[in-house]
Amino acid sequence: MKSKKIVGLAITLGLAASSLLGALPASANDKVITVWADESRGPNLLKTLGSVESQKGGEWVAGYKVKVVAFSSFDALKTAVDNVTKDGPDIIVGANDWVATGAQNGKLAPYTPSASVRRNFNPNNWFDLTYKGKIYGVPVDVNNVAMLVNTKLTGKRPATLGEMVDYYLKNKTSKGLKAGLCVAGGGMSWGAHSVLSALGGGAYPIRNAVVDTRQNPVPAAVATNIQNLFLDSKGASNGFFPASDTGCKDNFLAGKVPYAIIGNWEWKDYADKGFSMNNLMAVPGVRKGTFGAAFGSVSGAMLTSFAEKNGNDAAAKSLLSNFFASEKGQVAYQKFEQRPPANKAAAAKSSAAQKGFGGAAATASVPQIGAILNGSSGNPSYWDALPSFWNDVLVKKVAPGTAVAKLNEVFKKNIVAGMKTL
Amino acid sequence: MKLFTGNKLAVTAKIIFVSISLALLGLLAQSAFASGEGLIAGFIALSMLALALVYFTKISIPMKFFLPGILFLIAFVVLPILYTLVMSGFQFKTGNYVDKPQALERIVADSYVPDDSGLTFDVIVGETAQGEPALLATDYMAGEYFLSTEDSLTPLDESQVTIDPDLGIAVETDGFTRLDPDTLAAQGEALAQLKFAGPGEYFLALEGFEVAIPLKPGLVYDEATDSFTQAQTGAKYVDNGRGNYANIEDPEDKLSPGWRSPIWLENYVSLVTDPKVREPFIGVFIWTMVFSILTVITQFSLGLLVALALDKPLRGRRFYRIIIILPYAVPSIMSILIWGGMFDTEFGAINALLGTKIAWFLDPNFARAAVIIVNLWLGFPYFYLISNGALQAIPAELSEAARIDGASNRQIFWQITLPLLLRILTPLLIASFAFNFNNFNLIFLLTGGGPRNDLDGEIAGATDILISYTYKIAFGSQVQDLGLASAISVVIFILVAAISLYGIRRSKVLEEFI
Repeated sequence: MKSKKIVGLAITLGLAASSLLGALPASANDKVITVWADESRGPNLLKTLGSVESQKGGEWVAGYKVKVVAFSSFDALKTAVDNVTKDGPDIIVGANDWVATGAQNGKLAPYTPSASVRRNFNPNNWFDLTYKGKIYGVPVDVNNVAMLVNTKLTGKRPATLGEMVDYYLKNKTSKGLKAGLCVAGGGMSWGAHSVLSALGGGAYPIRNAVVDTRQNPVPAAVATNIQNLFLDSKGASNGFFPASDTGCKDNFLAGKVPYAIIGNWEWKDYADKGFSMNNLMAVPGVRKGTFGAAFGSVSGAMLTSFAEKNGNDAAAKSLLSNFFASEKGQVAYQKFEQRPPANKAAAAKSSAAQKGFGGAAATASVPQIGAILNGSSGNPSYWDALPSFWNDVLVKKVAPGTAVAKLNEVFKKNIVAGMKTL
Repeated sequence: MKLFTGNKLAVTAKIIFVSISLALLGLLAQSAFASGEGLIAGFIALSMLALALVYFTKISIPMKFFLPGILFLIAFVVLPILYTLVMSGFQFKTGNYVDKPQALERIVADSYVPDDSGLTFDVIVGETAQGEPALLATDYMAGEYFLSTEDSLTPLDESQVTIDPDLGIAVETDGFTRLDPDTLAAQGEALAQLKFAGPGEYFLALEGFEVAIPLKPGLVYDEATDSFTQAQTGAKYVDNGRGNYANIEDPEDKLSPGWRSPIWLENYVSLVTDPKVREPFIGVFIWTMVFSILTVITQFSLGLLVALALDKPLRGRRFYRIIIILPYAVPSIMSILIWGGMFDTEFGAINALLGTKIAWFLDPNFARAAVIIVNLWLGFPYFYLISNGALQAIPAELSEAARIDGASNRQIFWQITLPLLLRILTPLLIASFAFNFNNFNLIFLLTGGGPRNDLDGEIAGATDILISYTYKIAFGSQVQDLGLASAISVVIFILVAAISLYGIRRSKVLEEFI
């Protein structure tokens, strides 16, 4: 019996020891740069760069391999980025509006691109990744929205917002239309900026690529246009533009909405249903020849402060320059990711479908300035204020003049506060 | 000491199971220790010790049953509560996220400023004939070339360098040897820490292995006084005691990042004194109470009604019972999202059926009604099940006796059945109240706490309950205030515990327990 006890104890200790030995880290001969990305970009980066095991090392940075960690969703990645305080990655591929928070929390580190890297991108793209005068990463792909017209319903592309409203009101009953124009991609703040802009307003007035602090971002004319185009004689919504984006995509695809604002990241869903990129356009304005400006923003590959702790700071910066910002790297990656590349030379080689979005952006677009849009202390952000504005005028029947005045004040405060940090 | 007792199979099974558990815990402890989480590693190590002691000896038989539960309770309830309690005493928000050494390290790392013109040099990393680290640098825009070591910057003319025809940069010069990729990978990070001689007041630092930028000190740290001085303006930044280095002349001018700093009871005080925090907090608290109480009353009432109806002989009773349990069987997340779509103003089934255009989620009262309706759908089958079971437990003789005494059905229900049911179900009603007090999923998935009038500066939405409001403060906005959210969480914990305790005491159930 005694020997059995010893054997039992030996098994116990053996199991515990073997498990502990298994837990020890593998020999770290390989120099590895770690990149975190979401559920779409992660797997596609992995296809482009290959797994750590399949890399020889030195493909993009001398002597280094690249390990891509793909998260289950964009939100999961955001949560991980928010919570990580040590053992973080060297590079994060994420939204440009993470820059301000990441820099404030000391999770992102500044990166200075060389002149040759810098000139490969639109200056607005660098602006998106800048906080307090420092750049925190390189632009990877461009996100924008455009209005898609169901020409099977309308027969032609509209020239003005009024023309769209007329079509909706005339055909609402006969064609069973659920709405005239709705936002299928980007939500009621980011995606709907082009509608506010088509009405004559915007998050900030831009003149010659500079924010004009003297102009009203949402002038009183917006109220008149809303009254004339979106409301009936009793001040209630005429149903043309819903205050919510729920159900927009399904109803547009079902032929129940003639015009929808869609995101370039979901173009495939529309192409599969037979829509043509030729029917993508900017939202027409109140007057012929004017258009609502949509946000054009970039996703960035951002350098983290963990890179320095991981002993990979210089290597991570090299990967940013040599892969993420280079024409070769972006062409190779976008072959899988299928978003418009931010690198100008790579963009010239992008797919035909994405050129439709490029065309709309070329007609009317506005840079996304996080420092202004994210709001100031005690003042609502653009992201919260615009949906609330639509709710006020289209649902709560708040007089457009009152709602426009409030929105204008909110945006003005954010412009003043934001400009101080730029 | 007798180590193993019992038959061979039981002993073997126990050894394997406990060994695997200990091995897994050992793995976790090692991983936690390697990550610098000493407290967690220590707790796991103590747990391993306790498990080995309890299961490999006869020190305490009851502990063999209680220990796993106790360990899980400590790990997932007690420690998080303690952590939340500690964090509620800190300035812990966006901009004050890391600890002071990390913040200091970051400020020092970012304290060098580049040349205003954005000048960069394309470089080849190598060494001189004397073995000194060196950079062969090209100013591409100006067409100038340099050899930079830690001590000197030597301008080179075009005849002294070999230029790469594709890149247009200098790649070779006499007395300079380029590092091969393996050496660069091995030494590159060390080289990136060096300050190579640069133009004027600047030094050159590697920005990747191919680029160098001119930098000069922007902020100078004085360890003795724990302060920074801005090189250009002379402005002095000192620890303001609230997690930031702030300018002495202008306290609003702070260096980023800040750090988590103790502010003791300030987060709790702001719940009472700061109108921006207090007013939404009171509004949300009132709605949370109304929501929880209404939910329990409506779910219990409908569940009981259905249970009473199906308590009587009825054709197809089994079918009805299955149908009624279905909402409970469908995952609630799915149900909530489906209901969310059904309540949509423009495209929802409910407005289509009613022929209305009600903005369910955009009007505060309709949104609250929708929340109660959906929660009724989700919760009444549970109350049907427990009411049905409780009804079976009430002796039929009591009703029979009352009926003989001339009591009507209504009198029997109100004076016998319901009081007895309440006596049996009170703990479950209280548990349901506590659950709904923190019913985050429903609010988050159905309304997101809205509607909220951001244009009027509202922070909390009309359907926000305390837990969703707390989530919003902690994670749901651009500025995350984890310290304040922790303080609200502690208040929620105290409220739910107090209300539940009061309810249990008043109902006189579990008397022997409390």
